[in-house]
Parts: sequence; structure tokens; C-alpha cells
Amino acid sequence: MSAATGTPPDYITPAVRAIIGAEAPPLEAHHPVEASEARRFHQALMDDAPRYWDPAAASRYGGPVAPIGFPVHAMRRAEDEADPLDAMQQGEYDGVDRRLRPGLPEVQVPLKRLMNGGYEYELFRYARPGERIRVRSRYADIYQRNGRTGPIVFVVIEDDYETEHGERLLRSTNTIILR
Amino acid sequence: MSTSTMARVGEGAVFDDVEVGQEIPTLVKGPMTTAHIMRWSAAMENWHRIHYDWKYATEHDGLPDVMVNGSWKQHVMIQLLTDWAGDTGWPWKVGFQFRGMNVPGDTLTAWGRVTAKEERGPYGVVDLEIGLRSQKGEESTPGTARVVLPRRGGPPVPYPFDPAVLGTA
Repeated sequence: MSAATGTPPDYITPAVRAIIGAEAPPLEAHHPVEASEARRFHQALMDDAPRYWDPAAASRYGGPVAPIGFPVHAMRRAEDEADPLDAMQQGEYDGVDRRLRPGLPEVQVPLKRLMNGGYEYELFRYARPGERIRVRSRYADIYQRNGRTGPIVFVVIEDDYETEHGERLLRSTNTIILR
Repeated sequence: MSTSTMARVGEGAVFDDVEVGQEIPTLVKGPMTTAHIMRWSAAMENWHRIHYDWKYATEHDGLPDVMVNGSWKQHVMIQLLTDWAGDTGWPWKVGFQFRGMNVPGDTLTAWGRVTAKEERGPYGVVDLEIGLRSQKGEESTPGTARVVLPRRGGPPVPYPFDPAVLGTA
């Protein structure tokens, strides 16, 4: 715990400030959007709109589409990538990858609790089965507020999702809260 | 017992019919069960234990039960808007915060209320306040949205959506 008296520590050090604006190399999904994963997505969402399965109803989109938010879940594990469930042998492991985004530098802040503060989406286009999705992530901002319980650091990440041909799908602005 | 209201498809809302203060059709999901949560986690390949490991969720993390996925709730909020806009309008922007937990047994109602509307060229832009309310009346996912709709007798909103079609505000 940091001191209850005096000025709270400033966690936005020059090293943290230096990564604001940092952009990860474009990350491409390991496989094109599969009709089956799009189906499991809309069925688990319990959204049975015909645009997801009926070619006639989806003619406006050039054929059936995946739900509009699908791209944010398109980055799956590659066939030869390490099994994340290996870590389950550690009894305390919660099953969550601590990397905020692969390819972005770590936010060097000594705060343990991580919370998802929410999302802002700007939506442009549905992804279709057969299309390959890629994402470009950047730290749009990192800033500190001092609450009653101590310093809180907000990490704002912009993720731009597009097709392999550079057609915009959506922009996600995600705020991660460290405290 | 229905787990989901019937999706509205095809022609969506028309700008001229929208009034400030109006509630758009709600979207009801549930009652949610551990099976619904497991199905979503498996589809997402999300291995966070609080969604399927009751002992871990309650004893290690001190939660009341396994949790309904935040990722699932965010797509419910988006579906509320795609159902309303149909295939003739477009849900341009949607944002929300995760403020509360939901657990098995909860029935969730996504709702939206129009806060502003503005003509923009041949289309109309509608701002909404949105939320996700449990059967106990608790709001877990407050947010806002901006939806683009066609005018009566006018063309559908062009697809893919480009904000440039709205001209400058």
C-alpha cells in the first residue's frame, strides 16, 4: 500500500508516457471466418436473424454474414500454438491471458487489479465466412486518476478490425482499469 | 418458455416514426443457465474459470455463482440495435460499461430509449440511452448508442456504412 498521506505516486512515468500511441504490428487471424464458428456465435448469442444463415435475406451483404461484433473474437489459437489449458495445472490460474494485446508493450504499473471498464464500438461492415480478419491495436491513452482508495490507471486501447483487403469492419475502444 | 425474443429482420425502423423519449422494442434473454454460459464460453474459446468452475468462482474469487460473460452481454446490446435498425438502417456506434454481475437464473432485458434525433442528408441519426436490466431491476451494462435510419420512402442506409454519407453535421 502506498502512503495514505501526502501526494499519491505518479504511475504515469516517462516510460509509461513513452508507450502512449504505440501500435502493435497488424495481427491476422489464423484462419478465415468459418461458417461453423459464425453459427455457434449467433446461436450462443441466441440471435437467429436470417442475415446470418439465409442467402436470400443476406443478399444485401453479398451472402450470409457473421454477427457484427464477431471480429473481436476472431483471433483464435493456431494449430501449433501452446495449449492455454496447460496452465490449469497451477491451481490458482484463472484461465485468463494477462497480455492486454499481443504486440503491444506491457504497461509497467505496479497495480494488481485489472477490470474491464467497457467498450465503445464504431461499426462499419459485417465480416463474412471466408474472409480473413486482421486487427491493428494501439494505446490511444494512458492516464491516472486518484480515487479515495488510491491511484487508478486507465489504459485506453483502440483496436481497428479490417478484412485482409483493408476494408474497415469496426473500431473498438476498450478502457482497461488498473487499481 | 422462450430463451430469446424473435429477432426483427428485414426492414427496420424509419426515422420519421422515431420520437425523443420513445422506448425501442426490448430484447429479452433468459432465464440464463450454466448451460447458456458454457455454450458461449466454448464458442468463444474463453477459458476464464469464473464462467464454468463453480468452486473456483465462489471459493477462490468469492463470487455468488458462476458469471454470465461480459462478452456475451456486449453482443446482446449490439443485437438490440441490429434488431431495431434491421437491414435498412445501421448501428453506427454503441458503447457501454460493465457495472454489474449477472448469474444463472437471471432473465435479462436489453432496452433503449431515444434521447435525440437529427436529419442528416437523406438519412436520420438517432441517439439512444441503452441498458441491460435483470428481473430484479438491476442495471448491469449502461451505455449509449447512435443509429442511422432511412427516411420514410427514402433509400436504405448504404452498406458498407461510411459516416461520410451523413455529410458534415
